[in-house]
Amino acid sequence: MGSVKLNEIKAVSYDRAEVIKGYTDRSLHINLADNDIRIDSIDAAVRDKFIGGKGYDLWFMWQAVKGTTKWNDPENALCISAGPLGGTPGYPGGGKSIVTTISPLTGAPIDSNVGGYFGPYKKFSGFDVITLTGKADQDVVILIDGIESRIKIFNAAELPDNAYDLSDALTRYFDEEKPVNISVVTAGPGAENTFFGCLNFSWYDAGRKRVRYKQAGRGGTGTVLADKRIKAVVARYGAVSMKSNQPADLEALKTVTKTHAKEIHDLDPKQNRMALVGTTHLVPIMNDHDCLPTHNFKFGSHPGAAVIGEAVYEHIFDKGFDGCWRGCAVACSHGVKDFSPFTGPFKGTRVFVDGPEYETVAGCGSNLGIFDAHTILEINFYCDAYGMDTISVGTSIGFVMECFENQLITAEHTGGMDLSFGNRLNTLELIHQMARGDGFGAIVGKGIRRMKQIFAEKFKADPAFMQDIGMESKGLEFSEYITKESLAQQGGYGLALKGPQHDEAWLIFLDMVHNFMPTFENKAEALHWFPMFRTWFGLCGLCKLPWNDIVPEDNKDTKEPAKVMKHVQWYADFFSAVTGRKTMPDDLIAMSEAVYNFQRIFNLKMGYGTREHDTLPYRAMGPVTVEEYESRPDRYDTQLTDTYGMDITGMDTAAKVAALRKERESQYEQLKDAVYDRRGWTRNGIPTKETVQRLGIDFPEVLEVLAENGIQ
Amino acid sequence: MIQVNDQPFEWKPDMTIADLLKQMPDVRFCSVVRLNGKLVSSPRFRETRIPDNAVIHLLPLVAGG
Ligand code: SF4
Repeated sequence: MGSVKLNEIKAVSYDRAEVIKGYTDRSLHINLADNDIRIDSIDAAVRDKFIGGKGYDLWFMWQAVKGTTKWNDPENALCISAGPLGGTPGYPGGGKSIVTTISPLTGAPIDSNVGGYFGPYKKFSGFDVITLTGKADQDVVILIDGIESRIKIFNAAELPDNAYDLSDALTRYFDEEKPVNISVVTAGPGAENTFFGCLNFSWYDAGRKRVRYKQAGRGGTGTVLADKRIKAVVARYGAVSMKSNQPADLEALKTVTKTHAKEIHDLDPKQNRMALVGTTHLVPIMNDHDCLPTHNFKFGSHPGAAVIGEAVYEHIFDKGFDGCWRGCAVACSHGVKDFSPFTGPFKGTRVFVDGPEYETVAGCGSNLGIFDAHTILEINFYCDAYGMDTISVGTSIGFVMECFENQLITAEHTGGMDLSFGNRLNTLELIHQMARGDGFGAIVGKGIRRMKQIFAEKFKADPAFMQDIGMESKGLEFSEYITKESLAQQGGYGLALKGPQHDEAWLIFLDMVHNFMPTFENKAEALHWFPMFRTWFGLCGLCKLPWNDIVPEDNKDTKEPAKVMKHVQWYADFFSAVTGRKTMPDDLIAMSEAVYNFQRIFNLKMGYGTREHDTLPYRAMGPVTVEEYESRPDRYDTQLTDTYGMDITGMDTAAKVAALRKERESQYEQLKDAVYDRRGWTRNGIPTKETVQRLGIDFPEVLEVLAENGIQ
Repeated sequence: MIQVNDQPFEWKPDMTIADLLKQMPDVRFCSVVRLNGKLVSSPRFRETRIPDNAVIHLLPLVAGG
């Protein structure tokens, strides 16, 4: 790692706004076109309606972009906010940042929730939200120094390219003595050369004396950072305590924090053991329930899954405290030390790998037919260091592999590489190519939606088959769950505002295993409540895992166990204690509903956000091929006869595939109707005027967008 | 004798996880158990036998990512 050389090109001092009841009521705007640095006040009306976090991000983005703005236009804004509760040490999951921007993959707003200390440090430095617009004409580093109340922009000509070395170098450069005061946001070369670049948000792990990071993975936020030629954004801040947010009721805050943290300490060892295994416990569970993506979501289980789940990673993870926020009792952000990659620029060196989580294991392991914990670690390491989203990487390569096996593409197109399922070395080579932007990797790095076009136009691949097997919706690659047998989760993916990411709704077990929502109306109700409540975490700067990954022992005896209402009440208490706004559980849903609908209308403003954009590839709904059908013949035959009352005597498998498809596609359309009705949207998926009035988001510019789309 | 959620429970030869759950109140959300530290999911409840002295935790909900 070379020494860091930075040339200061702009510096301003500012009066650091105090944080009061979780808010600074200040926004920071940096325009890289002319290095303009502006600090604005945030109106109380904006605070009351948009709450913070994702709400603030979306509001300020809306002001920055036009309906015609593309992801790489200078006016596209990259926004980061922590929310009013973010930065509460000791509250489980109490320190997330939310990033939004216009996505290179979808063309619409994307949001990503991420750990690391940047969001809280930025807020305690005086800013609820920062927006980055414009493009620099040379690589720059931005420093927000809350200790010295200075904002600086540096020319950064000679810095390490990869996020792994860059985060470390900048942490030590900006506070050699107290590296724990620094959090760095970086992307990497893969973010420059693909459309699914991620952002790495760091924190200094004092126990291990090393820089760690978590990823804002989805939708290409890192690609936008790289396009603006921002090498890194750094926040520097000193000691953080429960008083840092100046909560309205410190005693109440201490009480609810202690109560939630204690429950996790007591129950996690008996439940998912996330402090030991992270989210890798999900690998065997999903595999057993036929929900683990295998071979591009063709199948849901594989015998090889036994060697890529918690049973293996528990022994590989380095022991120690692994909270990605201070004092988080779940402490699930594990890593592997002294890992030695066998390919690429770090070949033969020893590195620390942050991860893997379930999504990476499933996406870059089973989905690619790679049942090897070591290779998954190497893919995880390089994706982070290159600044690429492991979910989009895994799902995209899965699509490529199925195309290759079906001879839609051949070695002639892939530069001679055999990209059959399970080919570990060529998978790694493809990832290195993506990061460099060369070879076949340059095409794969554009994501599935663009690959489908390129393969059809240049390689004459069958567009209809690719549409069925290409696991993207709205342009975003699917996260890693098989949804064929859960109509509710098909809605959870297809109706998600940003595209198929499970952070809006994860209903597979409630629907498929417990049959808890048999009717369309039940499913629609779930697809209202769960996305609204999950949105609330993003408004406040929190992690959702402590809500329902560890649950009270008496939860099953409550009226609505799936909602874990005891915890929802604690979150309402948490919000009341910090902000002083007396809050009940239903208020949390109301807060989210306004922002949720605003985001839907933001999609509309960008030319999306209607029914036609809520479509799914058929593989998310059912078996595309004869091979898939015949892998679960009893299940599908029974559905045709018992559920749909068909006589299948004499039908061949292809006819059964077609018959099942007709039913399932029709069900999904009926689900859309039910959900739109429940959400107060038209049958075209647009919030009605009554809905926006009820939610108090009937601003003139919102009504204008609705009017342009026929809603008067 | 076996331990189920920290409580003693009578063990019977050839007892499966499915047999155990039939005797437990309100287990409608239990689709995964930890048997002697290992995860066992509902599709395998009927075939998985419980050894004597086993320690079992019923996992309450599977919440996804
Ligand atoms: S639960 Fe895990 S991911 Fe969430 S804040 Fe805590 S350590 Fe980070």
